[in-house]
Order: sequence, then C-alpha cells, then structure tokens
Amino acid sequence: MTASVFFLAFFGIAAVWFGIVVFRTHSMVRSALALLFAQTAIGAMFLVMQAEFLGVLQIMMMATEMSVMAIFMVMFMMDPGGLGAMEMTHQKRLSVWAGAIGLVGAAAIVGLADWGLAGSGGQVPSAGRQVELLGLELLGRSMFVFESAGLTILTAMVAATMVAITPPLKGGKNGT
Amino acid sequence: MNIALILLFVAIGAYAVAVLEGWSTYGRLSLSRPAVAAIALLGRESLLARKSDRLFFEVGPVLLLIAGLLAIAVIPLAPDLIITDLATGALFLNAALAYVLVALIMAGWGPDGAYGMIAGWRFLGQFIAYAMLIVMPITAVAMRAESLISTQIVISQVEMWNIVYQPLGFVLFVIAAMGVTYLPPFDLPLGDLAGGVEAEYTGSRLAVLRLGRMVVILSLAGAIVIFYLGGWLGPWLPGWAWSVIKIFAVMAAMLFAGRYMPRIREARYLALSWKLGIPLALANIFIVGVITLVVPI
Repeated sequence: MTASVFFLAFFGIAAVWFGIVVFRTHSMVRSALALLFAQTAIGAMFLVMQAEFLGVLQIMMMATEMSVMAIFMVMFMMDPGGLGAMEMTHQKRLSVWAGAIGLVGAAAIVGLADWGLAGSGGQVPSAGRQVELLGLELLGRSMFVFESAGLTILTAMVAATMVAITPPLKGGKNGT
Repeated sequence: MNIALILLFVAIGAYAVAVLEGWSTYGRLSLSRPAVAAIALLGRESLLARKSDRLFFEVGPVLLLIAGLLAIAVIPLAPDLIITDLATGALFLNAALAYVLVALIMAGWGPDGAYGMIAGWRFLGQFIAYAMLIVMPITAVAMRAESLISTQIVISQVEMWNIVYQPLGFVLFVIAAMGVTYLPPFDLPLGDLAGGVEAEYTGSRLAVLRLGRMVVILSLAGAIVIFYLGGWLGPWLPGWAWSVIKIFAVMAAMLFAGRYMPRIREARYLALSWKLGIPLALANIFIVGVITLVVPI
C-alpha cells in the first residue's frame, strides 16, 4: 500500500466521519462546522490525487460557504447565537431511502465507469498545466454552463433571503 | 533549511509586530514589553469556561496560528527562499486566510459566553465585507503575471511595481488586509465588548491566540509586499533583505495608520465594501486587463 493510498483512505474516512457528526450533534454551529471539515477532508483528497487547483479551491470555498451558512441558520432560526440545542434530522424514512439509493448509485459508478488515465496509472499533467487547462475549459466550452449556474445560484440566494424575512408592516411597526 | 530560515523570520517578525503594536498603542517604544507580557501570560492560570465546547475552545487559537503559518508558506523572501512554490500560490494564500474566519468563529463560540460569541459573529459580518476585496485585487495581480505562482508574480514586476501599475487594487487590498487582521479601525471583533473573541481566554491559550494574530498580520504584510511592492526586487542589497525591510515597513504602516481613525461598524464596512469597493475592484480588473493587452509593460 503506497503512502498516497493511505492518505486517500484517511481523508476519505475523515470526510465520512465528519459527515456522520453533522447529524449526530444537536447544535447548528457544530453541525455546520462538521460539514465544513467533511468538505475540507474531500479537498485534501483532491490534493492527494494531485488535483492541486481543485483541492485548494475546495478547501477555500468551503471555509467561507459553511461559515456563511452557519450564520444564516443562526439568524433565521429561533436560536439566539446558535447556543441552543435542536434535532438535526428530519424526514428520516425518506432520507434513509435517498441515502441508500445514492450509495448504490455511487458504488455502481465506481464499478462501471471508464476511469481513463486515472485507472491505468497514466501521467497526470503538472499542477501548472492543470491550472492552464482548467482556465481554457472555463473560458471555452464550459463558459455558458458556469455563467448560467452562477446566475442561477445568485438568484436563488436573493430569493431565499427575501422569502425568509418578514417585511416591516406599514405604519412604522416592525415585522416579527 | 528554507523552512528553518522562514520560521526564524516568522519568530522575529511576530515579535516585531508585538513591539510595534505596543508602541502604537502606548506611545512608547519598548523592546522588552512583549517578552515580559508573554512570560506573564504563560505563568498565569489558563481558565476553562464552564459549559464550554472544549473542542472549539482548544482548536480555535491553534487553527488561527496554523492559518497564518500556511499563508506564509507561499510567500517568497528571495527567489529560492520559500517553503513551497505552489502552482496555485495566490489561491492557496486565500485558502489559508479563509481559516482565520473559521478559527475566530470557533474561538468566539466555543467558550459559551455572550461577548466572545457576538464578537465571533461580528467578525463573520466583517469577513463578508472584505472577502471579495481580497480575491478581486489578487485576480488582477495574477492577470498581469499570467500565473498564480507567487515567485512568478514578483518577477512580473521587474519593469514596474504593481503599486504603480494598479494603484486602485493596492488600496482595496490594503483595506481588506486590515479587515482580515482585525486591526483598527476594523477591530470590532476585539474592540468594544470586553475584549471580544479574547474575552474568555486566559493564560497560555490567550498567548497562542495573540501569537496567531501576529503571524496573520505578518503574512498579510508579506502578501502586500509580493503582490504590489515587488517582493525581493531592489538595488544594492540582497533580495531577502529587501523583502524583510519592505515587510517590516508595511507592517508598521498597517499598525499605525488605523489608530487615527474612528472604529468602523461592520454594517458600515459592509455597505462601503459592497456598494463602492466591489465596483472599484471590478473596474480595476477591467483596467488591468486592457493595459495588459494593449500596452505590454
């Protein structure tokens, strides 16, 4: 067993473990940060697999996204500062089924997919070349997909925030 | 060897931050004050708040220190005096600095106290203000260098430093850097509220928390120097000496400048950053793009 396989397994298990913690804890803040560290572990897996740009990007984005998610949860729930306790699971039967189907699907992909270069142990492009190739991809073929995805996410965020807040009532009284 | 030299630089630099901060706060230069304060802190009992989240409480200060050290790993003091010259250096610096936020939220929320918690969340508000102003000016810097590699970014400034090439980006980046390091006038996470994030920390844990902040200040000064002030470039002296001189000068400027301004609420900082800062940062990217394509300097 090589060192890279060992680290890949280590970070993979860490990601799964933090994922379990997300639902076992009874605090929104702990749950959000556990999700953050699960995603950071996935970023570390990218680094082990020599996808440097993706790994660093994952580690950076998740730190900010999960923290912002935590404060939005704290702001909109009846839990000042996120210090209270609350159940982190709901719709259990549906979630178990969705999780099981997802697991089977992922296992099927592992078995059936054509892994190309990665499967045959071929040469991975150098980290610098990867950045270049990614840039060409993002500003070429995939540009439209990425731009529209970005706009969709932005619209969804603005809409979700507007739905969540109660507008102040007319006549100077504050909304509740 | 490089790691040892850079760690030595970090140790001296962090001490210099403490000396300069003492000077700017108390108005009197004392070389021994930080050492005395550190010994006093280490000798003091390190209290554990009742009902604290032990994991967050312990990890917060250490994570802040690690974030600062990781950021320094990609800052070159000379062409070959760097811990790791990553292909994604500028992005990696961002990634490391993102964990300053995580560390402060953990340190603020962990002790289960109102002051620390509010200060931690306030820092998040501040983060939303400065985050884009860190990333967008770096984008313009990387555009000129046509690379994310930090040594390459310095080499791209041989003809003209970026402070002249893109002054707008420089100003925005410095303001954002003051926000990351919660220096005055952006020191709301520490400022009022009985010490803010530091409120529940005592003894050796407080020492680590403060050391972490000094390393973060040092790393941001280093980032300003390599992105805008030509890194090790300069006549007569060897490269590393120029780097050290510039970093110390930037550090001193950062520590002293804010003392003469009133503290800024994070809501106001947010409004200014998003309504004024981000449009200016986008304009900066546009201008740099046009100059890079039209007049190759």
